[in-house]
Amino acid sequence: MFQYVMRRLLLAVPMLLGAMSIVFFALRVLPGDPCMAMMGDQATRDALKDCVRDLGLDRPVVIQYGEFLWKSVRLDFGQSFRQHYRVTDYILRMFPYTFTLVLASMVIALAIGLPTGILSALKRRNPLIDYTVRIIALLGLSMPVFWFGILLLIMFSLRFDLFPLIGGGDMTTVLDMLTSGEFVTYPEDFLAAVVDVLHHLVLPAFTLGITLAATVSRLSRSAMLEVISQDYIRTARAKGLSERLVVYKHALRNMTIPLLTIIGVFMAVAMTGTVLTETVFTRPGLGKMLVDAIGARDYPLAQGAITVFTMMIIGVNLLVDILYAAFDPRIVYS
Amino acid sequence: MATTGKQASSALAAPERFPTAEAWRQGLRWRRWRKLFPMLCGIVLVFIMILVAALAPWFAPFSPSEQFSAYVLKGPGAGGTHLLGTDEFGRDLLSRIIWGARVSLQVGLAAVVVGFALGVPLGIIAGFLGGRVEMTIMRLTDMLMAFPTLLLALIIVAALGGSLVNEILAIGIALTPNFTRLARSLALTVRENDYIMAARALGCSQVRIMLRHILPNAISTLVVIATLDIASAIRTEAGLSFLGLGVPPPTPSWGNILSEGRQYIKCCTWLTTYSGLAIMLAVLAFNLMGDALRDLLDPRLRGE
Repeated sequence: MFQYVMRRLLLAVPMLLGAMSIVFFALRVLPGDPCMAMMGDQATRDALKDCVRDLGLDRPVVIQYGEFLWKSVRLDFGQSFRQHYRVTDYILRMFPYTFTLVLASMVIALAIGLPTGILSALKRRNPLIDYTVRIIALLGLSMPVFWFGILLLIMFSLRFDLFPLIGGGDMTTVLDMLTSGEFVTYPEDFLAAVVDVLHHLVLPAFTLGITLAATVSRLSRSAMLEVISQDYIRTARAKGLSERLVVYKHALRNMTIPLLTIIGVFMAVAMTGTVLTETVFTRPGLGKMLVDAIGARDYPLAQGAITVFTMMIIGVNLLVDILYAAFDPRIVYS
Repeated sequence: MATTGKQASSALAAPERFPTAEAWRQGLRWRRWRKLFPMLCGIVLVFIMILVAALAPWFAPFSPSEQFSAYVLKGPGAGGTHLLGTDEFGRDLLSRIIWGARVSLQVGLAAVVVGFALGVPLGIIAGFLGGRVEMTIMRLTDMLMAFPTLLLALIIVAALGGSLVNEILAIGIALTPNFTRLARSLALTVRENDYIMAARALGCSQVRIMLRHILPNAISTLVVIATLDIASAIRTEAGLSFLGLGVPPPTPSWGNILSEGRQYIKCCTWLTTYSGLAIMLAVLAFNLMGDALRDLLDPRLRGE
């Protein structure tokens, strides 16, 4: 097991390296010039030249690439071209927003998707239940997340004025109070800040969560169909167990492994979703940061954001693979 | 134990509870119809959309760039001629959505063709030849798979610049790893068959075996996945356009109509509502078609 984990970790390194290289070279052939994007069309030739030299873009690409890799190993993605702050600091500031969004939407997606998918599989002889769930799942799967977000905004922010239209709440205060221990001395302020963050989180989380619930529902339906066609389920029925026991004791327990796969798939889809959801809700986060960075030709910021996205996806898939072995004794990795 | 007359008669009566041949056939017809219905809906929707997109100049009541200064941001039914209302420049929304169908369908179909043309040969070569070739191809595929489709398309389209062709290339390249992986796994299964051994024994070249034996045996599954990928490509195109990285304005695409309409959600919800509905219908149509095709072609699901 230990050997397997080490080997998977080592295998993840070239994968990450490859992904980072793709990002680096793709951004270097961008048609737009970062200096032009910053200074506008009116900039003089000398000013542009100075800007290129200041940003280090006049050096050979190989040197820039080497420096990028060497610094990235130490999680240093350089300085933002535009605002001149350290990209790592900015990512650390944005990460909690994206992380809470992914986590909250995952809870919503699993809470809605799992039961409906399982129910649809167990009641597949009942066309009313099966078809209703499948049609709703298909509609959810076909609905673009940014459109659903806008519909929720129109309904709950503009019509009923229940949730804020933009922003992500004061996450910095919450984190600062948590790390400094002030949440004990000023519990009311802390609670207010948490409520504010949650208030800003509700609509984006539901937007992403409900559209992803469709994917989870379909995956869990097919996983359940696979489980209940196994021989041990037939045996459990043959020995006279009630359907309830068969489902709870035998079928659901064996859903753990497919559930892990679902979470693995979820992560990649959720990451894409955060890019669009954060843009719709003008919510700070890694996704919005990436879109803004690409628009502004801010290479270090875009590289940093994509690297973190890739690391998260590779990391979750690695964790899922390891958990497979931990949860299912039948899986032995050689 | 002696059988009573009542028990014997109930045993004899039991078969009557089974459906008659006619009822059985009717049930079968109903089940088939139930399976075919979503596919028919999908096919009809796809057909209508392709027809509308292809004949946009005839179907659209106005040119998509024609501006009506008297009807700026007017709701559905404005002036009796603008069925879905107008946008911030007074352009007819229905006409823009009809013309926008062209971009979405063109990108959706062409991107899948690009992904298919790049991914399937690579996958079949990897699966059939194995060894170092397979390892190289699959490691490259794994690297691309680390990016979700939209993220990869976002990077490529940002690198190439926003235009119809670049968008097609970006989404096509982003879809390539899916096809490579699937084609490889299919090639791995097909190459174990006796007829491949027979072809080898007859002296067929490797290229011939791949083209004449492996590809035809993998094509049906690949086509089903391609249909589902059209839906994914349309959604990705809309996403890219929404983020401002798609076809540049004034060319209408559903994503950029939605993105422009977003600035006016406080007053004019029709701009976002109808363009989003168009995206959803298109994705739904291809999903329905792909799902039903998969159910029909996948023998494991046939019994369900």
